[in-house]
Amino acid sequence: MSAISELSTLSRRKGKATAEEKKANGRDNKAAYIFLLPWLVGLVAITIGPMLMSLYLSFTDYNLLQPPEWTGLDNFTRMLTDARLHNSLGVTFTYVFIGVPLQLAVALLIALVLDKGLRGLPFYRSVFYLPSLLGGSVAVAILWKQIFGTTGLVNQVLAMFGIQGPGWISDPSTALGSIILLHVWTFGAPMIIFLAGLRQIPHMYYEAARVDGATTLQQFWRITMPMLSPIIFFNLVLQIIGSFQSFTQAFIVSGGNGGPSDSTMFFTLYLYQKGFGQFDMGYASAMAWFLLVIIGVFTAINFIASKYWVFYDD
Amino acid sequence: MPFFPRSASAERQAENSSSGAARRIRKTGVVAAAAAVVMALSACGGGGSAQSDDGPVELRFSWWGGDKRAQLTQEAIKKFEAENPNIKIKPEFGDWSGYWDKLATQVAANDAPDIIQMDEKYITEYSSRGALLDLSKYDIDTSKLDEAALNAGKSEDGLTGIAAGINAATILANPAVFEAAGVPLPDDSTWTWEDFGRIAAEITEKSPKGTYGAAAYGTDEASLGVWLRQDGKSLYTSDGKLGFEPADIAGWWANLKQLSENKAVPTASEVVEAEAAPLDQSGLATGKNALAFWWSNQAPALEKASGGDLKILRFPTKTGDAADAGLWYKASQFWSASSRTKHPEEVAKFINFLANDVKAGETLLADRGVYPNSEVRAAIEPKLTPADVKVVKFIDQIKDELGEAPAPPPKGAGSIQEIIKRYTSEVLFERLSPQEAGKKAHDEMKSAISS
Repeated sequence: MSAISELSTLSRRKGKATAEEKKANGRDNKAAYIFLLPWLVGLVAITIGPMLMSLYLSFTDYNLLQPPEWTGLDNFTRMLTDARLHNSLGVTFTYVFIGVPLQLAVALLIALVLDKGLRGLPFYRSVFYLPSLLGGSVAVAILWKQIFGTTGLVNQVLAMFGIQGPGWISDPSTALGSIILLHVWTFGAPMIIFLAGLRQIPHMYYEAARVDGATTLQQFWRITMPMLSPIIFFNLVLQIIGSFQSFTQAFIVSGGNGGPSDSTMFFTLYLYQKGFGQFDMGYASAMAWFLLVIIGVFTAINFIASKYWVFYDD
Repeated sequence: MPFFPRSASAERQAENSSSGAARRIRKTGVVAAAAAVVMALSACGGGGSAQSDDGPVELRFSWWGGDKRAQLTQEAIKKFEAENPNIKIKPEFGDWSGYWDKLATQVAANDAPDIIQMDEKYITEYSSRGALLDLSKYDIDTSKLDEAALNAGKSEDGLTGIAAGINAATILANPAVFEAAGVPLPDDSTWTWEDFGRIAAEITEKSPKGTYGAAAYGTDEASLGVWLRQDGKSLYTSDGKLGFEPADIAGWWANLKQLSENKAVPTASEVVEAEAAPLDQSGLATGKNALAFWWSNQAPALEKASGGDLKILRFPTKTGDAADAGLWYKASQFWSASSRTKHPEEVAKFINFLANDVKAGETLLADRGVYPNSEVRAAIEPKLTPADVKVVKFIDQIKDELGEAPAPPPKGAGSIQEIIKRYTSEVLFERLSPQEAGKKAHDEMKSAISS
């Protein structure tokens, strides 16, 4: 830090050098931009361009086959009275606010166990991480559908105990729960991050606590939790953002229709149906921007709340 | 350590001024690299297919359907290509469920297949928005085609679809399941909806667990259409509105609920699961249902999947007289073309081959329904499989009992099936009464086809 500020005062004193330096900097930047170009073109063409386009489309009536027609705020006012949209928000919120805390709790628990220094740790780490890699995939969603079907594995096991299980994913009262379970099962990614976080907590804190006679539980709440809180916060933000956008599981498990009876109709799934199934791309674009606002709001709340519970060591 | 460390840029400056040539070289190098990158990128973007007039033309052809259809259609393509070495047909096929999402995306991205298998539910949607080619402007012979079938593809936007086949709504019966339960097959010229429910419940009772007398209806608009027509109503009116009242559809669901309570049809959960199953794994094909609702052209494929014999039945009626069954001939599907195809002449040639050439007929047989071209129909008769013959016979049999041709589905009709399915499960899971479901579904359908 200090070396750099020293340098800048030094160069500021030499007026002539500054001008030349600027020139040189400009040249440097140009080269940098040229090398950045492939990425920049991708960013503009594949991300920013379509985003702006969808912002425009959200103010239009666009049926995919004909040019869009400007309708102002019409799409947004329609959203106020769309009962299926409100239902899809309810489904998504349930998924996020039950699925994410559950998943993080499981991830933390497993990480704590693994951190105790198990033999063959790399093996278990990989095994537990595996679902994270697979969980978002189509194959696993199809597998899930089989396991939780009326005559699936779960019900076969239940039948051994004389219990007649429901059709977990085909019954509106249990379908969403099955998908939340699938989400919880993919706890591997946050688990790995927790594990790394746990490794960074200096051992001396625990040693000191033990000397003072602290119980394991006290050590957990007084040392592990505060020291780990930045990591928990990081995982929480990432998972909430990700969960609001989840689509694949619900799409595959419900066969693309968010059924039965809209019980797994996620916001993103409804958006997809509106846009590609019902030729209402203007409305779908408006929904996408609404989702962006929702995610933004929850991320902001997260950051504001973090001031009260996240503890930074340094 | 130097007392005054030289800044990095100052160091570079010294180096630069000492060798201007090197700098120039480096600069050219950067520009060249950038140019290469830009060129590479633009090469990726441009898909311009420069083709000379006599070079081979590639056409993309997409359809939905099962394995049997894919096999037959690809054989027909081969025959066409053998006759027309300059035209290559690239097939794209998949299940019904994903077909329409994909097509909508392709059309929006200006990447529509040249030849599109089209359904009556969507043809107005696409043709009224200018996405389909007016085939009457090209060289396709329509003189031999059945008139009603031909008219089904006509609208104010021209002839945007050539009927690929004629079919009718039917109930298919699996005699093996009847026999195992010891229940005689019904007489389909006199049976009523009451008989249907009674027979189905009896089969469920006398069959092993997990086998049901009938599949549930309520997963598409065909069975609703029949029900409404038997009440003197219709799904749509000719001016593009709904042709029924909430009470009509509520009655249909009330009957279904009754069937469900009598265990004539599978449980609500099983009904939902069955919806997602492809044709080959449907309850009828796997011997889990004795009766099921299908289109007539699907019978051969189902028979193949079930490995046994199937029987095609008329719908039950409310009066016990087959003349009141209210069936109709439907264009099973259409051959349509993208209005943006670069090779309309070749597309027309291929559609003409599919519709009018005996060689195509000999391959496709009755998979897409009974051939609308009377000459082809006669020529391929000896080649038909026993299953196909049954279909042709059935279509023939009901000829004099047909009701008035139904009005074509209006724009937005593509969403009706999804609405029906959703409210059917609301009724079966007893989350809504048939009356409530009728009212809500009617409202939703109304807004779906008016927007």
